[in-house]
Amino acid sequence: MIKLLKIEFKKILTYKIFWILTGLYFLFLTLGLLMAEFMINNMVDNMNKRLPIPMPHVALYFLPWIWQNITFFATLRYVLIFPAIVIIILITNEFTFKTIRQNVINGMSKAEFLGSKLLIIMLVSVTVTILLTIGTLILGIAHTSDLTFSMVLEKSTFMIGFFITMLTIQVYALFFGFILRNTGLSIALFTLYLFIVEPILYYFLKSPVVFPNNISPYLPVNAVLRITEYPSIQVLKNIMGINLQESVSFAAICIPLGYSAIMVGIVYWVLVKRDL
Amino acid sequence: METVLSISNISKRYGKIQAVKELTLEVEKGQVFGLLGPNGSGKTTTLSMILDLIKANSGSFQWFGKTPGKESRKRIGSVIESPNFFPYLSPVINLKIVADIKDIGYEDIDRVLNLTGLFERRNTRFKTFSFGMKQRLAVASALLGNPDVLILDEPTNGLDPQGIAHIRELILLIASQGTTIILASHLLDEVQKICSHVAVLSKGKKLFDGKVSEVLAISDCYEFSARNVELLETAIRSHPAFQSMTPGAEITQVYFNAVVNPEELNTYFFQHGVTLTHLSERKRSLEQHFLELLDNNQ
Repeated sequence: MIKLLKIEFKKILTYKIFWILTGLYFLFLTLGLLMAEFMINNMVDNMNKRLPIPMPHVALYFLPWIWQNITFFATLRYVLIFPAIVIIILITNEFTFKTIRQNVINGMSKAEFLGSKLLIIMLVSVTVTILLTIGTLILGIAHTSDLTFSMVLEKSTFMIGFFITMLTIQVYALFFGFILRNTGLSIALFTLYLFIVEPILYYFLKSPVVFPNNISPYLPVNAVLRITEYPSIQVLKNIMGINLQESVSFAAICIPLGYSAIMVGIVYWVLVKRDL
Repeated sequence: METVLSISNISKRYGKIQAVKELTLEVEKGQVFGLLGPNGSGKTTTLSMILDLIKANSGSFQWFGKTPGKESRKRIGSVIESPNFFPYLSPVINLKIVADIKDIGYEDIDRVLNLTGLFERRNTRFKTFSFGMKQRLAVASALLGNPDVLILDEPTNGLDPQGIAHIRELILLIASQGTTIILASHLLDEVQKICSHVAVLSKGKKLFDGKVSEVLAISDCYEFSARNVELLETAIRSHPAFQSMTPGAEITQVYFNAVVNPEELNTYFFQHGVTLTHLSERKRSLEQHFLELLDNNQ
């Protein structure tokens, strides 16, 4: 395992595109998360000009709710596309440069090759989760008065949800990369599926005419997005009367993990069957 | 003799095209084994199958007398088709990746870069290399860690004459150290200069195999004339290396299946009571000979 990581590090360490995309991801993520409250409140102000009863401002960054809010915004489609594209590039590069052939010729098994890419996905997920946890803690502590230790821990399970989201969305990307083998095609089809195909499927399957039992929530990407489905915002609570999501449910985690396991299985099977 | 590679009845089909058909081969330790054949004769397909890149439709092969796997591949250094490296990495890092996969240390990297004349460029990115340099890096990576077997697929492809001579010398040097080498080439001259054994492939089938000196023996052609034609022809027919003869009005053309020299021939005919009035040697080019070999076996 250490050996495979050593090899992957060499492939990534001086690869400019990887670092540029990773940099953009962190920039986008940081700015987005820091600006979220300001932007929402700006919208609230605009709406209040036309509303007879003004809506209250939202406060996203106080503990313990910050865990839920930050992970909600960090798992929007627009944000998740970044790590997905990075993984697609790292995998399809191996086919473009034919380095997968060379790796196999030199004595790497196909299982090891797949394993090395899964290790990278795991490592990226762990790293981003740790960094986001640190950032959230700092932001939360700065915005919370009367802080207690239990307030810090409460709702922190949303971070586990975030980790699973990162892991599974990248496995989906890995699936596209290994099956299609072509960088442009994989990125295009993955983006298309993420933003257009599945949302259409979602509403199509939702209509009771088509399917008596609504299976929309179980679509692969939707299952991932449902892990951290709603933010915790006072306005929403007031309108709906309840908090839409209290915690990350075990079931919500299991579905995308199940999809990921099946995809990894298919990728392995195809890798063994297909000529390189 | 220890068998390094044995292939039995291996076949590969791409749709309608039979790339390799029931190929059986044995490569012994220490041989420099040439796979000779024109483009599209199945050389690269064969090498890809024995390196687990593509799956054979039928047949099997063994490395070092065992079922092949990643451990056997670690003992083999190979250059297949184009040189495949990360364009944005330097040769040193590319070779470190190879060393990691093969479970060997980095000490050997400088040696192979020096051997292939790339040491000066060791820290420049691969994509800035000329094709010849890329090809040499592929050879360097194959040599890394002194593998038991070296597989080279058209290793001199795309090199300038100097580079070709250099790589050939290198192959001969490595062969002299006892490394088994399997070399695919469409150049008869290359196989003849480097290899000890050869298998000739055409359209996926093996035409012959054996020692280079036997398979590629040049049947020399000579032209003779003498006053006494009858006696001349009798003498020619009884020559131990006689293969075929085309009698003409003035000159008789004769093919020999072994190397003969004019002096020897002159003495031979004199002993048989024939005084030659004309003797000349007609060398056929190696390529012409190769084409004849292929033609005779279509």
